[in-house]
Amino acid sequence: MSILNYNGGCVVAMKGKNCVAIACDLRFGVQAQTISTDFKRVFELGPHLYIGLPGLATDTQTVLQRLQFRIKMYEMREGRRLKPHTLMAMMQNLLYERRFGPYFVEPVIAGLDPNTKEPYICALDLIGCACEPADFVVSGTCSESLYGMCETTWQEDMEPEDLFECISQSLVNAFDRDALSGWGAVVHIIEQDKVTTRTLKCRQD
Amino acid sequence: MALESLHGVERYQHKWNEVQEEAALPEIGNFTNQYQLMMPPLPKAECQVGEYLVDETGRKMKLNYAHGTTTLGFKFKGGAVLAVDSRATSGQYIGSGNVRKIIEISPYLLGTMAGGAADCTYWNRVLAKQCRIYELRNRERISVAAASKLLANMVYQYKGYGLSMGVMVAGWDKKGAGLYYVDSDGNRMPGNVFSVGSGSLYAYGVLDSGYRWDMTDEEAYELGRRAIYHATHRDAYSGGIVRVYHIKEGGWVRISEQDSKDLHYAYAEGKTTTQ
Repeated sequence: MSILNYNGGCVVAMKGKNCVAIACDLRFGVQAQTISTDFKRVFELGPHLYIGLPGLATDTQTVLQRLQFRIKMYEMREGRRLKPHTLMAMMQNLLYERRFGPYFVEPVIAGLDPNTKEPYICALDLIGCACEPADFVVSGTCSESLYGMCETTWQEDMEPEDLFECISQSLVNAFDRDALSGWGAVVHIIEQDKVTTRTLKCRQD
Repeated sequence: MALESLHGVERYQHKWNEVQEEAALPEIGNFTNQYQLMMPPLPKAECQVGEYLVDETGRKMKLNYAHGTTTLGFKFKGGAVLAVDSRATSGQYIGSGNVRKIIEISPYLLGTMAGGAADCTYWNRVLAKQCRIYELRNRERISVAAASKLLANMVYQYKGYGLSMGVMVAGWDKKGAGLYYVDSDGNRMPGNVFSVGSGSLYAYGVLDSGYRWDMTDEEAYELGRRAIYHATHRDAYSGGIVRVYHIKEGGWVRISEQDSKDLHYAYAEGKTTTQ
């Protein structure tokens, strides 16, 4: 069993028209046993900047804490908000620092640029290789199923409501085929003026 | 003979010979004799199928033959109740959420499936055939003890070959309801309460706290259903539809098949209203 499959969990992010969406499941388990059904793995790092940290749960928490420290230091020194692209660079550094004993998380970043309001998504592997595709990014134990779902349902320039439907259906139908993810989902739709967070009612098995 | 040919009726004997010739072909060796399975071209010590599988890092993988399941059975004053989930997993991938894990061996005998689905289905079908032959030869129904003994002896011949089965044989015979646990290690034991599979620990918790011999039928169904539901919620490898069967004097009866999602929200509502 891979260490990345020890706790289970998945995250997906998609680009829409002047908006981005990021969603995750809520299961926290230890191999087969489900311990809790309210373990969020998507965190807010700024008004329009979210990061998802699927993988080993302890590293999810540690990486988040280390990252929050670095972000606060950055914002104090620079006197301005972090851009999504800069967050990606910061994550790359944070992860590569542990190249030979890595954090077992494969982060996903979603946000809007604070100045241009342009949508941004990116995914990194556990040692910091980033990719910034134009459509969607997935990560977690059911990533193959997520790729399949997103590939078929994603379209360019979706409005926030359609994007919500698309990302919700992709996530739920993908983790319904995975024994280690599911048990509830949270979806964030990040638009220029607001962020809408919804919890989905899903299968609890 | 003459009369048959006059009426244009073919003798059954000729047809049966044809069937037997076909069946003697090596390609379908186990058609007439279900024990005649092709062995792998290896010495016996290496017969374990799981030995040759590796995961993505090259490490040898221990095949978790979907003992990922939850099945339970218990006897009570009204007969026996069997309840199962319906998820089949290969590793962490959910292959199906709609598997029938209760195998209908005969109208008064049921077998549950846990472990390798193919193993359970095949040997339960062979058991069905043997039970029917017993009935025809002895002009009476087979007892649950005898049926479970047949199954146990069948799989004992393959001990060490990697069969994976944890089956409960339940039925009605002259002594009333019967419940036996039979597995591929050669265990066979009678009992009042059993639960098999990765989710069995969660099911036992609910089952043992609610079990009484003199439950009503409805209470028994709800106990089995609840136990499986709790296992589907906590165990990653159990889920899908919760099926409940009742074995009584006239044979077995299918009681209910409910999606565990619906059960979850129904029970959750119950929790909030009582608070």
